[in-house]
Amino acid sequence: MSSFAHIQETLVSKYGVKPEVIKPEATLTELGLDSLSIAELMFDVSDHYGIDIPDERANFNTLGEAVAVVDECVKAKGG
Amino acid sequence: MADAGERRRRVFVTGIGLVSPHGGDPGNAFDRLYRGESAIRKVRSGTAELGGDALLAQAEFDPSDVIPKLQLVVMDRVSQMAVIAAHRALIASGLLADDTGPADMGIYMGCGLGGSQALQDSYRVYFERRSRKPKPATVPLIMANAPAGHISMRYKLKGPSHTYSIACASSAVATGEAFRAIRDGYLDRALAGGTEAMLNDGSVAAWEVLGVLAKEHPDGPGASSRPFAKDRSGFVLGEGAAVLTLEAESSMRARGAVPIAEIVGYGASSDAHNLTQPAADGQVRAMRIALADADIAPEAIGYVNAHATGTTAGDRIEIDAIKQVFGDHARALVVSATKSMHGHLVGAAGALEFAITALALRKGRVPPTANLTEPDPECDLDCVPCVGREVAGLEVALSNSFGFGGSNAVLVARRA
Repeated sequence: MSSFAHIQETLVSKYGVKPEVIKPEATLTELGLDSLSIAELMFDVSDHYGIDIPDERANFNTLGEAVAVVDECVKAKGG
Repeated sequence: MADAGERRRRVFVTGIGLVSPHGGDPGNAFDRLYRGESAIRKVRSGTAELGGDALLAQAEFDPSDVIPKLQLVVMDRVSQMAVIAAHRALIASGLLADDTGPADMGIYMGCGLGGSQALQDSYRVYFERRSRKPKPATVPLIMANAPAGHISMRYKLKGPSHTYSIACASSAVATGEAFRAIRDGYLDRALAGGTEAMLNDGSVAAWEVLGVLAKEHPDGPGASSRPFAKDRSGFVLGEGAAVLTLEAESSMRARGAVPIAEIVGYGASSDAHNLTQPAADGQVRAMRIALADADIAPEAIGYVNAHATGTTAGDRIEIDAIKQVFGDHARALVVSATKSMHGHLVGAAGALEFAITALALRKGRVPPTANLTEPDPECDLDCVPCVGREVAGLEVALSNSFGFGGSNAVLVARRA
């Protein structure tokens, strides 16, 4: 199952992003996040799934790309 | 630069913003203090395994109206309180327009321990989860100048943003340095104050073992902070933020703002004696320097808001220092210790107490030293026991702040 729903819920509840602007093609910057809050978001998500996103995979721009990286790491973990 | 080189401009307090154990409204907080109301409670602190009951003066606040969630994620409690107090100070002085303050404004903040909750959280990750991966924002959450940085970013204030970490004297020094910068023409206006949020259990435990915290009094938590009393046993930790808008007279008059009080003097000194034990000599010098800076005779002072934390040694030394500075006039002074009610806010203490001093001048009323039912015979000045007092003709007052490390800071204010 895709991590999109979980990331979407986190963005709304913890980061105060409006649900209607959350789309896979939106960049995280467009959603209002800066480098520090993007790092915090990925930390929260990694913590939730118990995964470790390798540095070389942390170069996504859009939400959809971030979701794909998380899904890949979850799959690699066997989840 | 505003008017660098133009010496000794007059400087006024035109707004006060609080997040304090007595709430966020300065007038209401002052009235509660005047009535002798303690904000000290017994709180269950820490974990089930390690925690204990602690006497604390907590500050309640809701950041959601002022700080967006996206910013809260990278903001420790210490910064949240600072931003809210700054917000309130800007509104109170009429300087907030479209959620923005004046671009030329400086920020002078005091802070003792920085983001101590974030520090504790990061160590918990390391030692409990055995992980080297704390939150990515840990460093910017912890750093002591984060509160000033957040205020600057939030309100687009582009003057200097300085942070002074001088233990219990932090925010008195911050206020004094802002005063000097404005008086001497380097700035027209500044937010000055302090913030402290270290009531997490790791920090509380560290204070406990230092042996300076008050024991619970048989009459209850609110009776436990007892400066100048014979049976005092130490201080109670508090938290909060206090921010004052300071303005040059020209800036204030140009926009028709109403002053709360004038800040007229600042003195700082070091004991060069001991890390935690105060010394009368250093306190005497700080008070004398402040009075000379204000060009005011000791006899003109009507009220002293004492540092008086309620430790056995500290209160006596401060009374001794006051006697040395004021001589016979010491007997005519009213001296009160408001820490008896709001606890010790450490890095925010000096600014909160200076704000109380400014309000006392404006209202002509002095808050009491709560719980002073039986004075220590060695603390034999008029310490306004238990009941607030109207003081006719109160014109000039002094606020003392003495910090660990032997740093002393004294501010002088005049009725505006």
